[in-house]
Amino acid sequence: MKRALYCEHFGFTLTGKPILQGICFSLQKGEYLSIIGPNGSGKSTLLKCLLRLHDSGHAQGEILLYDRPVRDHTQRELARHMAYVPQAGGPIPPFTVAELLTLSRFPHASHKRAMTDSDQKAILYALELTDMQKFARHRLSALSGGERQRAFLAAALAQDTGILLLDEPAAFLDPHHAAALTALLKRLHEHEGKTVVTVTHDLNHPLDAGGQVLVLRHGRQIFNGPATALACPGILETAFEHSFTYILHPGTGRPLVLADHA
Amino acid sequence: MPGKILPTLLLTAFCLLVLLGSSFLGMTIISPASILETGSPDAEVFWRLRLPRSIAAFFAGAALAVSGMVFQAMFRNPLATPFTLGVSSGAALGASLAIMLGLSTALPGIPAGLCAALLGCLLSMLLVCGITRARGGFSTPVMLLAGVIINFFFSSLVMFIQYWSDARDALQIMRWLMGSLSGLEPVHIADLGMITAMGSLLLSRFTRELDLLLAGKELAASRGVAVQRVTLTAFALASLMVAAVVSLAGPIGFVGMMAPHICRLWLGAGHERLLPASFVMGGCFLVLCDLLSRSVLAPAELPIGIITAMIGGPFFLWTLFKSNRNSEML
Repeated sequence: MKRALYCEHFGFTLTGKPILQGICFSLQKGEYLSIIGPNGSGKSTLLKCLLRLHDSGHAQGEILLYDRPVRDHTQRELARHMAYVPQAGGPIPPFTVAELLTLSRFPHASHKRAMTDSDQKAILYALELTDMQKFARHRLSALSGGERQRAFLAAALAQDTGILLLDEPAAFLDPHHAAALTALLKRLHEHEGKTVVTVTHDLNHPLDAGGQVLVLRHGRQIFNGPATALACPGILETAFEHSFTYILHPGTGRPLVLADHA
Repeated sequence: MPGKILPTLLLTAFCLLVLLGSSFLGMTIISPASILETGSPDAEVFWRLRLPRSIAAFFAGAALAVSGMVFQAMFRNPLATPFTLGVSSGAALGASLAIMLGLSTALPGIPAGLCAALLGCLLSMLLVCGITRARGGFSTPVMLLAGVIINFFFSSLVMFIQYWSDARDALQIMRWLMGSLSGLEPVHIADLGMITAMGSLLLSRFTRELDLLLAGKELAASRGVAVQRVTLTAFALASLMVAAVVSLAGPIGFVGMMAPHICRLWLGAGHERLLPASFVMGGCFLVLCDLLSRSVLAPAELPIGIITAMIGGPFFLWTLFKSNRNSEML
């Protein structure tokens, strides 16, 4: 199987302060990677480094996208391979959902600029997958936080890339939509062969989604391996300096992690 | 493309109507029939004074509006204008120096004021970009802050030059700082028209990139925009247009902030429609302001900068309160 992303002793320094150090992982095409860790551990920074979104700072080591260094790709080439869903909560772009999705077709656009059939198909498919058809003409500012988050996910899907990078995609979602998001990501990964990298604070998400997990603490990688390893005590306690209870879901029998009260 | 022909024709017809209409009006009203009588005073006034001046006002307004639109998109801030970013004051510094030193023509057909204003603009751009880069990266808030600092610094230098100049030059600088479109040579108007048309045409190649920048720098980069290259190119083109206006007509305020903002409230944020709309809106607005400036206290002439601020301010506030899109950044 082809290697989609490969991080080799990657480090990132911003204004002299090391943010990431010694990050190593290898992600095959179609694999699922969850990145977890306490606040400020460098999860979002790592995601942005994969897409070369930092306009400052100094990188060490190497990130390979399909075995070619990320720094050798143009920004448009990167956007043809990887779509990004930013963390919710920033300023709201002054567009409708449909306009946001149309803008996501930029990396595939020709000089003629006209919308092609494949653009239309990708946009309609993304709206359908995220159940956002009825909001297509709504302004982003008129949506709830959860709906807006789904609009950004739809925009990333409309970009029609092999790799999806998501920064806390379930942050504003209610339990119903959070479960639907997890199911959608699993479907994209299992049935459409998408490679998914997601930053999350939901410690049960890696257990639900499967695949690999990367655990960060103070910018350093303390674990990279199968997500099922989180069901055993040790890793989470080290990462979060907190105690956890490990149980099996009474209905499904799946492992669950519960953070103990302080 | 065929869908664009009708709006383009309508906009062109509207611009011609405003240009011709404003040229017939003024201290005295000129009848349409008299402009075709060779040698008549009305025809002289119409063809040699009013129409060229209206054309200059149109291009100046269009240039300021388009550059304001670019700055607002790049900085995701409706207050980002050629003034707040130090571009106007850089141009003003260059042009003031040219007046004080008594420079007239730099290159054939290009006045020294324009060259000096361009150099001043370039200096302010280099300083703003240099400060931003020295602070690390290409941060928009740092760039905006650097622009404000450069604006204050260069404005104080302009005041110093005014203080240092003899009475005649100081008066000329003061009049020029208030903004005026009177006494422009046809060659200057041609320079201004060419720079405005070329700048706007080149910027129209970046409308989708500007849309994406409006959605955020990170999001734009994640969708494939080479943010730094696009930002620098758009900044340079917009600054060049501002320099051309400031060197010829003085620092005329409010148009660059108001015209694109009002167009955005009417037409939405997409730059494919916003750019031509801002061009026409800014151009026509300044033509009408110029008409007022030469009519209100006729035969005396009111500086055009006073008119733009007096009309623009209340209209801008009215539009702002009418809009309910508070949660969006523009």
